[in-house]
Amino acid sequence: MQRPGDDGRVRRIAPWALVLLIALLTVVAGVLFVLNTKSEESGWEVFFGVLTIVMATGVGFVLATRRGENPIGWLLLLLGCILGLSAVAFEYATYGLLQSDDPLPGGRLAAVYDQATWPLLFAPVAAIAFVFPDGRLPSPRWRKVAIGALGFCVVSVVLMFLGPRDFDKPFEAFSSPLPQMPEAIYFPLFVVASLGLVASLLAAALAMRTRKRRATGTDLQQIKLVAYAATLIPLAVAIGWTESLIAGSAGVAASASAGVVLIAIPLSIGVAVMRYRLYEIDRLVNRTLVYVTLTALLAGTYAVVSLTLGVALGSGSTLATAAATLAVALAFGTLRARVQRIVDRRFSRARYEGLRRVERHLVDLRAGRAVPEQTGAVLAEALGDPTVELLLWLPDADEYVDASGRVVSLSAVGGRELTPVRRGELALGAVVHDAALSEQPDLLEGVINAAGLAIEITRLRAEVQRRLAEVQESRARIVTAGYEERRRLERDLHDGAQQRLVSIGLAIRHAQGSLGGDTGDAGAQLDAVVDEVTRTIEELREMARGVHPACLDDGLGAALRDLASRSPLRTEIAATTERFPEQIEAAAYFVASEALTNSVKHARASHVTVSAERSNGSLFLRIADDGVGGAVAGERSGLAGIIDRVAALGGSVSVSSPPGEGTAVVAELPCA
Amino acid sequence: MRVVIAEDQALLREGLRRLFEDAGHEVVAAVDDADRLRGAVSEHQPELAVVDVRMPPTHTDEGMRAAHWIRAAHPQVGVFVLSQHIETAGAVGLVSQGGFGYFLKDRVLDVSEFLEAAQRVARGGSALDPRVVASLVGGQASDGLAELTERERHVLSLMAQGLTNQAIAQRLVLTERTVEGHVRSVLMKLDLPEGDGGHRRVLAVLAYLRAADAR
Repeated sequence: MQRPGDDGRVRRIAPWALVLLIALLTVVAGVLFVLNTKSEESGWEVFFGVLTIVMATGVGFVLATRRGENPIGWLLLLLGCILGLSAVAFEYATYGLLQSDDPLPGGRLAAVYDQATWPLLFAPVAAIAFVFPDGRLPSPRWRKVAIGALGFCVVSVVLMFLGPRDFDKPFEAFSSPLPQMPEAIYFPLFVVASLGLVASLLAAALAMRTRKRRATGTDLQQIKLVAYAATLIPLAVAIGWTESLIAGSAGVAASASAGVVLIAIPLSIGVAVMRYRLYEIDRLVNRTLVYVTLTALLAGTYAVVSLTLGVALGSGSTLATAAATLAVALAFGTLRARVQRIVDRRFSRARYEGLRRVERHLVDLRAGRAVPEQTGAVLAEALGDPTVELLLWLPDADEYVDASGRVVSLSAVGGRELTPVRRGELALGAVVHDAALSEQPDLLEGVINAAGLAIEITRLRAEVQRRLAEVQESRARIVTAGYEERRRLERDLHDGAQQRLVSIGLAIRHAQGSLGGDTGDAGAQLDAVVDEVTRTIEELREMARGVHPACLDDGLGAALRDLASRSPLRTEIAATTERFPEQIEAAAYFVASEALTNSVKHARASHVTVSAERSNGSLFLRIADDGVGGAVAGERSGLAGIIDRVAALGGSVSVSSPPGEGTAVVAELPCA
Repeated sequence: MRVVIAEDQALLREGLRRLFEDAGHEVVAAVDDADRLRGAVSEHQPELAVVDVRMPPTHTDEGMRAAHWIRAAHPQVGVFVLSQHIETAGAVGLVSQGGFGYFLKDRVLDVSEFLEAAQRVARGGSALDPRVVASLVGGQASDGLAELTERERHVLSLMAQGLTNQAIAQRLVLTERTVEGHVRSVLMKLDLPEGDGGHRRVLAVLAYLRAADAR
C-alpha cells in the first residue's frame, strides 16, 4: 500500500518525469529525422507532429501540476508519450530499414509498432471527451461505455499487431516479424473492432453533448470554450479544400489553419479545466465574432458601392469612393447593433434575453404599463438572479434607499456583491447580486447599461418618495406638537385661570358673609359679580374643551360619550375600550365632533350612530346619520381642517352622502 | 360637621376652608395631595372629605383614586369630589353607593346649595352636579332612555342628582302628584323597582345608567 506522502511525491515528480521522457523521445525522433536523408517525409509533417506533441505535453504538464486531481492533464501527457513513441518508432524504422544499408535489429518491430498503434491515439482523446471538464464521467452509467471504448482501442491495437497484413508505405518492402493470425479469424474480429472503435468515438462525442445539455454556469462555459475551438476543425478543413481547389494542392493556408486547430484545441481544454477567466473568453469570442462579421459586411458594402458606382461613373471617380465611404459610415451604427444582436442571440443567450427584458421594460415604462418601482424585479429577471436588489443613491442624503425611498443599510448586502451603476458622471446607485454574476461581466454590464434610463427614473422617483416621506413625517410631528401644545393650554386654563376664578369667587362669598345679616345693595352686587365669575368659568371650560377635551384622558369611548351627551340628537356610541396614541384619539374625537355638528346643522337628522374600532392596524371611526344626505366635503366645511390633521397622521377621511340616504363619515387612522 | 379638605391650590384650599368654617363646620385638616389626604382621613375620621380630582404629582386622577380608597377603607366617610371639568368615567362606580357627591368646582360659589349637598353626602346621601348627570343620562345608547319624553328625562336627571319628589316639584314648578306620575313612568320605562325616595332611588337610576354604559 502506498502512503499518502509517497502519493503526493509521485504526483509532484510524475509530470516532470513524463515531460522529460516525452522531450527525450522527441529529441531522439528529431535526431533520427535529421539522419534520415533518404526519407520523403516533409518538413510540415514533422512540424505539425512536434507542435501536437508540444501542445499536448505543455497543456498536460500545466494541468497535471496545477489540477493533479483531474485526469485530463495526465491523459494529455499520456497522449504526448504515445505521440513521442510513435514518432521514435517511425523514425527508427525509417532509419533502420530504409536509411541503413543493412536492416538494423528491431527495425521491423519498430515498423510494426508504427503501423499498428494508431488506434492507441484514440484512447486518451476519447477518455478526455468522456471526463471533460471535471474529470468525472457524466454519470455512473457511462462507466461501461468508457471501459468498452478503451477495450476496443486495445483490441484494435492487438489485432493490428497480429493481423496478416502487409506494411503500408514507406515500409511496403518489409513484413512483420511477429506471428500472424489466420485471415479467417482476423477479418471478422477486425470488422467488429473497427465498428467498435467508431462507436466509441461517437460515444465520446455523445458524452460531450450530454454534458453540454446538462451544464450550467461555469461548466457550460468550459464546454462552450472547447466547442468553440472544435468549430475551428471544419473551418480548417474548408480552408484546406478551398486552397486545394484554387492552388491545386494544399499549402500554406491549409497548414496554417491546421496549426491553429492543433494549438487551439489543447489550449482551450487547458483554459477550460483551469477555469482561467472563462467568462472573459466568452466575451472575447463574442466581440471577435461581432467585429469580424461587421468588418466583412462593411468591406462588402464598400466594395459593392464603389464597384457599382465606379462602373457607372468611370474608374477613379472620387465620387464613388466618397459614396462608398458614406454608405459604410451610415451602415455602421445600425449594422453594428444588428450584428451584435444576432451574435448575442446565437452565442450569448443570457445576455440577449437579459437585454430584451430590459428593453421590454423601457417600452412598458413609456407606455405606462409598468412602474419604475418594478425596475429592481426586472433586473433580477434579466440577470437570472432572484437575489438581485436595486439600491438607489441619494447624493443629498448621502445614503442608499430602495425604490420606495426607504433607507437601505449596506450591511444587509451580506455575502453578495455590489456593482455600482453610473450614468455619465452621475452615480445612480448600485445593483446587489450574487457573487457568481461577477463572472459574467458581459451580461451584468450589458443589462445594467441598458437599464440606465429606467434606473435613473426609479432613482428620481425614490428621491421624491423620500422627500415626501420626510415632509409627511415632519407634518405628523407638527400635528403631534400642536396636540401637545393644546393639551398644555387646556391644563393651564383648567388648573390656572379657572381655579383662580373659583378662588376669587369664594373670596367674594367670604367677604359677602362677613358683611353680616342684611347686606342690601352690596350683597346683590356681589351676587352679580359671582354670577359673572361663574359664567366666565363656564366660558373658560367650553374654550378649554374646544382646545382639548379633558375627557379624552379617560379614552376615546368616554370622550365620544361626552360628545354625545351634549348633542341634541339621539346618538348611539359603539366604541372600543382600547386605548390609542393620544394624537390619534384626539384626531378621532375632532372628526366625530365636526361630523356630529354637521349632522345637527345641515343633515336634518334625528339619529346618529358613532362607532370606533381597531381593524388591520388602524382605528376606524364611523359617524352615520339618518339625515337628508347630499353633503359635500368642501373647502368651507369644518371637516376640511380636520381632514388635513388626519392626513398629517397618515390617515384618511371619506364622506359618503347620497341624497336621501343620510351621511356617513369614515376616518381611518393608522395606529400600528 | 368635621371636614377634611384636599386641594393642591393654596388659594382655593383656604377659600374652601373659610367657606366651611363660616358655616360653622370644623375643618380638621386641609392638605395638598392624595397621600396626605389618606393620612388625614385615617387620623381624623371626618364626616366628609372634600377632594380635588387633579392633584400632584401627575395632575390626572389622583383625587378620584383617593376617593375610591376612602370609600373602601372608611365607608362611613362621605366623599365630595370637586373637578374642573366633567369626568364621568372614574365617578360612576362611586355614585351608585351613596355618601358621594360630585360637583364642578364653580358650583361651590352657589354656597348654600353646596353646603346643603355636602351635608347630604356626609349623612350618606348623594349629590351630583346636574351637568354630570346630564353627561351620564344624555349619552347613553339605550332603548329605554330613547322612549322617555323630554319632561321625563328632566325628572330622571333630578332624580339622579339625589333630589326628592318634593324638591323636584319645587324645581319644576309642578305639583308633587304630577312629579310622582313622571317618576313612576320613568321607572317603568327603564324597568326599575319603585323606591321610597332618597339615595336608593338614585342608586337604581345610576345602576341602570352604569349597566347601559357597560353595554
